[in-house]
Amino acid sequence: MSEEIKIIEKKEIPSDAIMLFGFPDVGLVGVIAASHLVEQLNLVEVAYIDSKLLQPLIVLHEGLPHSSIRIFGNHNILLAVSETPISASAIYQIMDALIDWGKNKKAKMMISLSGIPIEDRQDAKELKVFAAASSPEMLKKVQDKGIETLMEGYMVGPQAIMLLRCAQIGLPAITLLAQCFLNYPDPEAAAEVLKGLATMTGVKVDTAKLLEKGEEIRLKARDVMKRTQQEMSSMKKSQEYDIPVYVS
Amino acid sequence: MSTKRKRSIMDILDDYFEELEEKFERWRETLIERPSWNQKACEMEPLRYVRVTPTEVIVTVDLPLTKENSIQVKPVGRSTIEILASMKRKVRFSDFGITHHKGEFQKLHCQLRVPVPVYMDKMGLRFKKGILEIRLPRKHQYTIPIE
Repeated sequence: MSEEIKIIEKKEIPSDAIMLFGFPDVGLVGVIAASHLVEQLNLVEVAYIDSKLLQPLIVLHEGLPHSSIRIFGNHNILLAVSETPISASAIYQIMDALIDWGKNKKAKMMISLSGIPIEDRQDAKELKVFAAASSPEMLKKVQDKGIETLMEGYMVGPQAIMLLRCAQIGLPAITLLAQCFLNYPDPEAAAEVLKGLATMTGVKVDTAKLLEKGEEIRLKARDVMKRTQQEMSSMKKSQEYDIPVYVS
Repeated sequence: MSTKRKRSIMDILDDYFEELEEKFERWRETLIERPSWNQKACEMEPLRYVRVTPTEVIVTVDLPLTKENSIQVKPVGRSTIEILASMKRKVRFSDFGITHHKGEFQKLHCQLRVPVPVYMDKMGLRFKKGILEIRLPRKHQYTIPIE
């Protein structure tokens, strides 16, 4: 693990867990989904990141200070969540540290929850969930479960680094991406990505409450979305719209 | 292709200063940190997004918890739009778990600049899934002839 990033453990970490990631990105899909998972599965904080690479910021919950990047868990799930966007300059090191830590804890699979923006999102009747995988075996697994895969294109952000690093070290990983708004918090897309997660892993949660509280979540998440937009712009997130020149 | 009409020096200067003002405003917005709410006015600032296409400018504004019939969209000058909407119910800081600020909000309000000339009077509005969409046809005042 990088000396600049420490992962401080607060509780015993389970082995063979599925490690999930919910970081601020398009539509805040990952963060909203992660927050719902924490609530529905009664996940508790098991570890957190301590690093000077992060913004000098703490999150106060019930009067007490917390790191902005925390890992929640139970006996079979680990869930890394960031409550504020991670700057482009720190993403590589943060993701490397989390993946190395997960590997040391013998996580059996890593899954990033995120979104893929679509035009005229408000007209979409159904939101599709796509996946990208770290290996041919994982790609097949995803396809066998009936989830469409992203075959060509660019991916920008923490989920992109997670996939690449996991591919390099041979750790099974997928990124699930629900169609969503680019610049607005999208609880409906978060509900869809959680359905995708259930299809892939059997980890099921009731998403009715998420949809019911959708408007409140959108109102509450405005500030995080605004800051996320700024970070997405600095890491050139719009490159995901580009058509790649395939080099075989 | 031909020039549709000749522009006066005053038109050109007007456009120049307007463009400068817009650039300054955009620069100012990136530098000045301010809250997304106004406690005194009981207003919250909604998220918005402006997209310029070759034929129109599409503005979307996220208006959660809004009463559709309360939405007001007003042009302010040639390049600014003001959006005001009442919320279905009052929202308090305490609803978000915040206890160090007191206050309640009942409106969403913002002003935004349109980056290119448009026909404000041909504005089209639509509200769906809590998203207000404003479509403004672009003004193409002149074309440059190909020699």
